Amino acid sequence: MSEFRRFIVQRTIYAIITLFVTFTINFFIFRIMPGDPVSIMVSERILKPSVVEEVKTRFGLNLPLWQQYLLYIQNLLTGYLGYSFHWKEPVINVIMERLPNTILLLGFSTILSVIIGIILGMLAAWKRGTKIDVTIITSSLIFYSLPAFWAGMILLMFLGYYPMMLWNIDLFPIAGTMSRPPPEGFFERILDILRHMILPATTLTLISYGEYALLMRNTLLDVLTQDYIVTARAKGLPERRVLIRHGMRNALLPTVTSVAISLGFIVSGATLTETVFSWNGVGRLIFDAMMMRDYPVLQGAFVIISISVILANYVADIIYGILDPRIRYGGYGE
Amino acid sequence: MEGMESKMRIRKGRNKYLNGLREFAGIFFKNKFGLIGTLLLAIFVFMAVFAPQIAPYNPMDVRSIGVAKPFSAPAWIKIFDKSIPDDAVFGILGTDELGRDVFSQIVYGSRISLLVGFSAAFIAVFIGTIIGLISGYYGRIIDEILMRMTDILLIIPGLPLMIVLAAMLGPSIRNLILVIGITSWPSIARIIRSQVLTIKEMKFIEAARAAGCGDNYIMFKHILPNVSPLIYVNTAINIANAILIEAGLSFLGLGDPNYVSWGNMLFFAEQYQALLKLAWWYVLPPGICILLVVLSFIFIGHALDEILNPRLRMRR
Repeated sequence: MSEFRRFIVQRTIYAIITLFVTFTINFFIFRIMPGDPVSIMVSERILKPSVVEEVKTRFGLNLPLWQQYLLYIQNLLTGYLGYSFHWKEPVINVIMERLPNTILLLGFSTILSVIIGIILGMLAAWKRGTKIDVTIITSSLIFYSLPAFWAGMILLMFLGYYPMMLWNIDLFPIAGTMSRPPPEGFFERILDILRHMILPATTLTLISYGEYALLMRNTLLDVLTQDYIVTARAKGLPERRVLIRHGMRNALLPTVTSVAISLGFIVSGATLTETVFSWNGVGRLIFDAMMMRDYPVLQGAFVIISISVILANYVADIIYGILDPRIRYGGYGE
Repeated sequence: MEGMESKMRIRKGRNKYLNGLREFAGIFFKNKFGLIGTLLLAIFVFMAVFAPQIAPYNPMDVRSIGVAKPFSAPAWIKIFDKSIPDDAVFGILGTDELGRDVFSQIVYGSRISLLVGFSAAFIAVFIGTIIGLISGYYGRIIDEILMRMTDILLIIPGLPLMIVLAAMLGPSIRNLILVIGITSWPSIARIIRSQVLTIKEMKFIEAARAAGCGDNYIMFKHILPNVSPLIYVNTAINIANAILIEAGLSFLGLGDPNYVSWGNMLFFAEQYQALLKLAWWYVLPPGICILLVVLSFIFIGHALDEILNPRLRMRR
């Protein structure tokens, strides 16, 4: 057990160091952006004088750089991310308003594409060399090559605009996260959001399941050529049992890590798909913030994303350590 | 006499090389993915090289503005629907919001996709290979520093980072290539490094070192050739990804406004509400072209992976 504890401590320290390094980079990157540092963090032209004063003191914008850095870290730890020029709200509010939309859309489509990917990958490896295998590989490669935004535009045009313009049928909503005004009642509202989510979620699932399917197929094929599988077969175990109990259990390991890491990235949203469907999420927010040169929002978004990604990587490492004892005894990079 | 002998030796060497290449091509084109991918790519390369000869109009030329009515449907649509007036249709693929020929834009668009794809992937693979080689070969503190740097870059989400950089540098083809190239190398560096770690431990490297070979010689003459299959596979996949990213950034309006690219076309289609106008001839072709050219590289990469990766080869 002490080995395992050492492994966890080592990973925890590593995660914390990475977090601080990214915070530091985030601090300096926005100091070397074009324009003077004060105008990057606060806009005197747009914001009220009282807000300008508050931001200036909280970030210590007239103090030496190292003191500004300490204040920045302190602000981060207390959840203060600055004030948006464009939305004229604290950055944390701007992000928090969009985060649930993004997590809903990306979380749903990521989990769906993982499930589809694992099933198809398993099927392909199992039926290796047959028509089923070739069909699964080919379709995975084709959907992987689809430009996400274009797939969204096509779905929107043929399932949204065509029915609406030609037959006056409101099959799928054209844009947005929910109807305006939102329908009465809790369940009606949930159904309304789900109806808005169908097309963007389909788009994201289509373009991302292929990667999981191919990963699953390749790792399973790799596992199925190992000696312990040959042994299991030689013992006369039924093929299904060999595949599921001996094959899948080991082949799922890399997939688990890859899924955990992609779950960390869902916070960054999907800028292109969100743009096509006017989905009010973090991906579009990052783009809009950059176009408006609203640096505090941009910086805040990157802070939230790095926390989420580092946390997901950390969890992935720990899960891997639990599932595969070789990792925690071997150590990393050796 | 001596000169002739060495010339013959060179020819013999070249023949051996050519034979190897021919043998590889035989295996590669027997692979369906390899064959279809190469054919698809050949079509687009042909389109890019002979764009001025193929396209009836020059889409960059302002005189091509207003060659027909804005949002004219393709001319052949009249076969299906005779009621459409003659001046509402134009050319093979209709016209855009300014009345420019869509087909000519599609033909010229192949140039940007291929140029950005190849150049950005070259930058990424070059940096990734060098860093992976150095990191894996030297190990210890150099490896630690380079890999931590790579880790940090892998934490930052790709597209948002590229959006920030592209918007900061300003819209131009050169900047798109730079932005995509310098943000795509970390995953390649990781893959190359782990392969170098395995090869480094092999007996022939030890032998080379015992024979007095220097670090650079071993790295580039002994290790590099052994990681080259990985480099080929990753180059193909990287070109595909670079083309997808270029299209995405251009769709967001971060592309070079002075050139026609498929991503730019879809940006304008979105801006001028081609979806609402049901102008499928303006929305479908650019996306299909992006899909096919990306698919060609993905197929080639997949074929190379199947042939060169011993892990995936059928056990007989």
